[in-house]
Amino acid sequence: MKGLMIKDFMNLKKNAKIFSVITLLYIFMAYMQKDASFFSGIFTMVFAILTLSLYSYDEMAKWDGYALTMPVSKENIVQGKYLMMLLLTAIGTTISVLFTVILNIVLKSDSAFTGLSACAIGAAVVILFYCVTLPFITKLGVEKARFIFFAVYLVPFLVIILARRVMDGVNATVPSLLIKIMHWVISNIAVILPIAVVIALTISYLISIRIYKKKEF
Amino acid sequence: MADAITINNLTKNYKDFALNKISFSVPMGSIVGFVGENGAGKTTTIKAILDLIQVNEGEIKVLGADAKNLPKEIKAQIGVVFDGSNLHDNLTAKNINQVMKNIYFNWEETVFFDYIKKFQLPDKKIIKEYSRGMKMKLSIAIALSHHSKLLILDEATSGLDPMVRDEILDIFLEFIQDEEHTIFISSHIISDIEKIADYVTFIHQGNIVFSESKDELIYQHGVIRCKKEEVAGIDHSYIVGIRENSFGAEVMIHNKEEFQKHFHDYMIDKTSIEEIMLFISRGKENL
Repeated sequence: MKGLMIKDFMNLKKNAKIFSVITLLYIFMAYMQKDASFFSGIFTMVFAILTLSLYSYDEMAKWDGYALTMPVSKENIVQGKYLMMLLLTAIGTTISVLFTVILNIVLKSDSAFTGLSACAIGAAVVILFYCVTLPFITKLGVEKARFIFFAVYLVPFLVIILARRVMDGVNATVPSLLIKIMHWVISNIAVILPIAVVIALTISYLISIRIYKKKEF
Repeated sequence: MADAITINNLTKNYKDFALNKISFSVPMGSIVGFVGENGAGKTTTIKAILDLIQVNEGEIKVLGADAKNLPKEIKAQIGVVFDGSNLHDNLTAKNINQVMKNIYFNWEETVFFDYIKKFQLPDKKIIKEYSRGMKMKLSIAIALSHHSKLLILDEATSGLDPMVRDEILDIFLEFIQDEEHTIFISSHIISDIEKIADYVTFIHQGNIVFSESKDELIYQHGVIRCKKEEVAGIDHSYIVGIRENSFGAEVMIHNKEEFQKHFHDYMIDKTSIEEIMLFISRGKENL
C-alpha cells in the first residue's frame, strides 16, 4: 500500500508548481485585505480537490487492473485512496492553520480563533463530502460520478428552500424543538462533528470496499 | 508434470459474448501460446485467471492456489504484461522502480535497471514520451524484476516491429531456461507463437478448439490438394476444413498417418499452426 501512495504523490508532483503559485497569490490577497479568517480553510478545499485528480490519473492509465495483478489486494487499493484523501485534507488543513496563525500575528488581529474553527469545519466538510462521493467514484469512475458532486452540493440547499416554501404555505413556524436541537448541536459542535466524521468515514469505507470487490477491470 | 495454471469449466457470460465452459491447463516449465482471433475470448480468459472479472462458473488454479483472492506471496511470483502500458504518463522508469520497490517485497532493483539498460530505455524520460515498443519493454522489465515464476502476457508483442518482437521473444526463451518457469502468452501473431511455444491453445468464439503440443499438432495435420468433386470421397472424420478455389480444393486433414493408410494417392503437404487455425475458423462452413 505504501507503494500505491508513493505512486499517488509522484503523480501529484506535477501540480506542485501551480499550487505554490496559488498559495503565494492567496497570501498576497489576504495580506492586502488584512483579513486572514476569510481565507481560512481555502487550502483545505484546494488540496482536497487533488484527491479527484488521483482517481483521474489512475483511470487514464487503467492502473487498477494492473495493480491488482501485483501483491496488492482490492482492500489495499481502496484503503490507499481513503488514506490519500485524509492525508491531503490534513496537509491542506495544516497549511490553512499555519497561514491563519501567521497572518494573525503579522496583521496583529485577534481573529485567530474564528479562523482556526473555520479551518476545522472546512476539513470536516471536505471529509464528509468525500464520504458521500467516494463510493460513487468507486462505482462509476470519476468522470461519470461528476453529477454526484453537484447533487451533494445542491440537495441540502434544495431541501432547505423546499422546506421554507412548504412552511410559508401552511403558515407554520419552525418547531421550537427543532430550534432547540439545532442550538444543542451548534453548542456541542466540537464533539459532534468529529464523531459524525468518524462514523461517516467508516460507513463510506465499508461501502466502497463492497463495491470495489464486485468491480470488473 | 505439475500445472502452473489449470482452468476447469470456466464460464463467463456477457450480453453479446460468452466463454463456454472452457478447460485447459498450462504445464509448468513450458510456453503455452494462447491464440485466437480478436474477440475470441483471450483477454477475458486472462482476466479471469487474474481474478479481474467475476466468473459465472468454473474453477481456476494458479501456481497451486485458487485464483480467487490469490495470496500475496503467490501474486508476487507472477509477472503480468498487458496490451498497452497501464503506467501513469508522468512517471519515469526511476519513479516506477521506487513504486515497485514498495509494492513487491521481492523486487530486485539491480535486475530492473539492468533490463532498462539492456532495453535502452531512458530512465529520466516520462512514459508519455515513450514509443509503444518502449512501453512494452518497460512492462516486461517490471514483470521480470521480481523473481517471477509465471509470466502471463496478453498481446505483449502485438503492435511492435519485427526486430523488437524478436528481441522480446529471445528474452522469453531465456526466461524459460529455468525448469520452474512458465509462460502463458496470448497473441494473434501466430508466427511469434510458432517460434517459441511448446503448446498451443486455440480459442474460437468462446470455445477451446484444441490445447495440444505444437509439434504434435503440426505432425498430425496436413493439407491435400484435389479436385472439388473428390472431396466427397474422403472420409469426413479426417477432415478439419476445406478451402475451395477456382483450381480445386485444399483439404486440411488430421490423423495424418491413419489417413495415409487409407488414401495412398494423395500427397500430404506439411502445414503450420496458422494454417490449421485458418482452416478451422474459416474453412468449416464449406463442409
